Amino acid sequence: MALCLRSAVWIVVLLLPTTAWSQKAGMSRAFDLERRGDYGGAADAYRAVLARTPADVSALLGLERSLLPLNRSADILPEVRAALHAAPSSSAVYGIALRAWAVSEQPDSVRATAERWAQIAPTEEAPYREWGAAELGRQNRSGARAAYLRGRERLGRPDALAAEMAQLSLSEADYTAALAEWLHAVRRLPGYRATAVSTLGQAPAAVRPDILRLLAREPDIMARRVEADLRARWGDPLGAYRTLAGVLPADRVQAIAVLRGLLDQLRMLRSAGSKQAQGQVLEALATRSPEVQAARLRLEAAQAYTMAGDRAAARRMLGELADDRTAPPSVASDAASTLVDVLIGEGKLDEAANRLAELRSRLPPDEYDAVRRRLALAWIKQGDLVRADSAVAADSSVEGLAVRGRIRLYRGAVAEAVELFKAAGPYAEDRAQATHRTALIALLQPLERDSLPELGQALLQLEQGDTTRAAAGLERLAAELAPGHGGAELHLLAGRLNAVMGKTTEAERLLRAASVKEAPSTAPAAELALAELFISSRRGAEAVEILEHLILTYPESAIVPQARRKLDEARGAVPRT
Amino acid sequence: MRRREFVFRTGGSLLAITPAWPGLRLGSTAPWLLVPMDDAQTDHLKAYGLAYRALKRGVKAEWLLNYRGGTFLLPSDAGTVRDAALAGVMVEPLDDGQVVQIRGTLQTGNMEAVPLEKPPKVAVYAPPNAPPWDDAVTMALNYAGIEFEKVWDAEVLSQKLTTYDWLHLHHEDFTGQYSKFFLNYAGSAWLVDMVERNRAMARSLGFQSVTAEKGAVAAAIAGFVDRGGFLFAMCTATETLDLALAADGVDIAASYADGDPMDPNATARMKWDRTFAFHNAQLELSPTTPVYSDIDGHQVNSPDRRQPLGSYSLFNFSAKIDPVATMLVQNHRQVIPDFYGLTTSFTRRTLKPGVTVLAEESGSPWVKYIHGEHGQGTWTFFGGHDPEDPQHQIGDAPTDLSLHPHSPGYRLILNNVLFPAAKKKELKT
Repeated sequence: MALCLRSAVWIVVLLLPTTAWSQKAGMSRAFDLERRGDYGGAADAYRAVLARTPADVSALLGLERSLLPLNRSADILPEVRAALHAAPSSSAVYGIALRAWAVSEQPDSVRATAERWAQIAPTEEAPYREWGAAELGRQNRSGARAAYLRGRERLGRPDALAAEMAQLSLSEADYTAALAEWLHAVRRLPGYRATAVSTLGQAPAAVRPDILRLLAREPDIMARRVEADLRARWGDPLGAYRTLAGVLPADRVQAIAVLRGLLDQLRMLRSAGSKQAQGQVLEALATRSPEVQAARLRLEAAQAYTMAGDRAAARRMLGELADDRTAPPSVASDAASTLVDVLIGEGKLDEAANRLAELRSRLPPDEYDAVRRRLALAWIKQGDLVRADSAVAADSSVEGLAVRGRIRLYRGAVAEAVELFKAAGPYAEDRAQATHRTALIALLQPLERDSLPELGQALLQLEQGDTTRAAAGLERLAAELAPGHGGAELHLLAGRLNAVMGKTTEAERLLRAASVKEAPSTAPAAELALAELFISSRRGAEAVEILEHLILTYPESAIVPQARRKLDEARGAVPRT
Repeated sequence: MRRREFVFRTGGSLLAITPAWPGLRLGSTAPWLLVPMDDAQTDHLKAYGLAYRALKRGVKAEWLLNYRGGTFLLPSDAGTVRDAALAGVMVEPLDDGQVVQIRGTLQTGNMEAVPLEKPPKVAVYAPPNAPPWDDAVTMALNYAGIEFEKVWDAEVLSQKLTTYDWLHLHHEDFTGQYSKFFLNYAGSAWLVDMVERNRAMARSLGFQSVTAEKGAVAAAIAGFVDRGGFLFAMCTATETLDLALAADGVDIAASYADGDPMDPNATARMKWDRTFAFHNAQLELSPTTPVYSDIDGHQVNSPDRRQPLGSYSLFNFSAKIDPVATMLVQNHRQVIPDFYGLTTSFTRRTLKPGVTVLAEESGSPWVKYIHGEHGQGTWTFFGGHDPEDPQHQIGDAPTDLSLHPHSPGYRLILNNVLFPAAKKKELKT
């Protein structure tokens, strides 16, 4: 007997590691099969593991995963029953069991399993969350709501399962109910704020005032933060900052966190208002930050104010930086160049030039040249071509050549302008500028003149924003030139300018003047512009007629595909873009 | 317009266009125009419109089945040349000798020349407020430039269908359950509008419920085909039309549609002898699951049953023996990516004997594109919503067909529009 007992002990001792090893090997094999996409094989392998250890949660989850792509999720039920029997108090097993009943479309079993799970985990939300998810899987929203409310009642917490309730309300487009639930959720777990804001942010415009009104009644900072984020999303960035400004926590670290949260929202926006609000937030952050960091924040605030067009605020920030002896050199030089930009924006070009001259030794050469080019463009706008020219005379960069080309053009030196534009090539400045230069070359080349001061004058007026005088000047000049030698091109440009100004009759007359057979490279573009004018004036039949003429008369023109597209639009054959 | 001015304008335009098309030479007097439908074609979809408009002008055309992707042969006239240039459709001029050569080629292979005689008069079944960009057929017709008229329940029930040759149905729910979106999209403005519009129409026509009214519409459509009409249906109209026909006297609608719940024994009581294509289908009993039955193989709106998209292959038919099926599958591609719709595909199990399968996903339990006869007319069902928007969602931006001028899926739709032209028919009465 003693011998038998000893043998049995040895057998157990020998078997234990063997069983653990085979269990581990079985799982490895199952994982491998699953990874290779052999879901049938993986399911069998997981089942083999579960036959030995029915409550192995990893194997059970693996089986659940493997059955899903086979569209046989309900086949897990026998293993789930065995697991529940072997581990009647395992939350993980209950979760799998509940999903298994759900895919088997047995709602009563789902409910019963959730109730049993809740009994062994009386303080957890998970049973009710999974129960609700199962009901939602059956598209049963009222069933899901009942599950969540039951959980709330059992747990004795009115904020339990608030995020789930909020999502449910959103699926029913009940945004005010969703708001109340999100506030519960956010107060309990602040990480929910981003989801709350992103879902509530989709509320239709008609509901938004109600949401903001309800939020305004809430007393706490969390509600204020949600309100600020929503105001920013809904196009009121300044209101967003005002919402927070008066209720910022006294604690510096908490206040910075609140301000940074709003700044993240504002940085996604592009409007002038959002830049102004960004400036305000950055300024508020600067007052709460250590000195070195504060200098950088003031600089960013100045840049934001500049982009918003609030030059006074930008100057105030830059002035504070100038007085700040602790500002690092890089911040100081950035601040100085920003100040020059502010001065340029204000039209104080002499002061800007003086400031820039002082800065020359402190700015990197590329940045210095870039600011000088901006200064030159500002001189051009003011009509002072001499000073503009002197500002970029020594600038041999491709951007500098492009600016010099414009100056030559405005002086009427057509040939020199073309050469400079060609030298600048397609890489100077941004894409829009490069395209504009190409269009200018196309305009200038047919002229076959070295100098045409009237053209320079008209284009300078256009640069200065005086479209009416520019169009009149171009038309006068066009009348003096033969259509094939620039007359048609200038009529086309004058026509387009009139179209932009809404002068439809004048635009039509000028575009028709540009559409002549003596200028076969200009006529198709003029006819396309004329068709676009007709479409925008709701003269569809005339647009169709002119487009048909364009396609049939100039079949080799590069704009024929565009003309066909417009023809489709005019006929209603494709959606209007 | 004076004659001299007319000659100048027209002649000048025609002379000017010829260099644009490689085959057309200045002063070419070729008597024929070939509209290739293989990869040489610059706009496959507009080519159908070109052929349709030629028929409309009284030109007799031919459809050369299985020849270069289903080519059209048209007599060369100024109108067709002008139309091709405007539409950007590639045409090749042919002389009589070349045409004889092509006819010889047709004789030797699985090809056939089918005369196209009369442009069909086309109707699209859609509510008056239906956006023009939410229906693949409407989009294809608009893009190709094929004329059509819209009809809805009042026109169908007042026998107006007798004035048309071809009728298209898209994603209408003929069971009257608003695509079973009633509960899941409750409160959505578009659904509210759809429900109101349908209820008002049912009331105005003297029906107790939308379900009853749609059942009568389905019967009228079946009558149209029975008397010789051509029916083309896509998406959920395919499945629900047959379900509505089979549900004669059986309540298959949820309570939100007709005031009382669905008959739990509805599946067993369906009268499948009344349908076009399907039989022995199992009905979906849940009012909230936007699925009607197991006719659809993909079940896109049932998360646990939804099947992934694959590709479908067109069958080859004998052009000389079975020209109708051959016409319906003319294409420059044989295998085409699949696309979802409320009804995406048709399970083989539920197809009636005698249904011609035009395209299938090989190895799968479903097919994509089917055809059959019903009385004196024919029907064609094509699963899915939009061939170029495979995962179409409510509210998606409209498909711009100028970006898909070679769409093989849309070609199948347009094959259907043109194939009635191949058969000389008396006006239905």
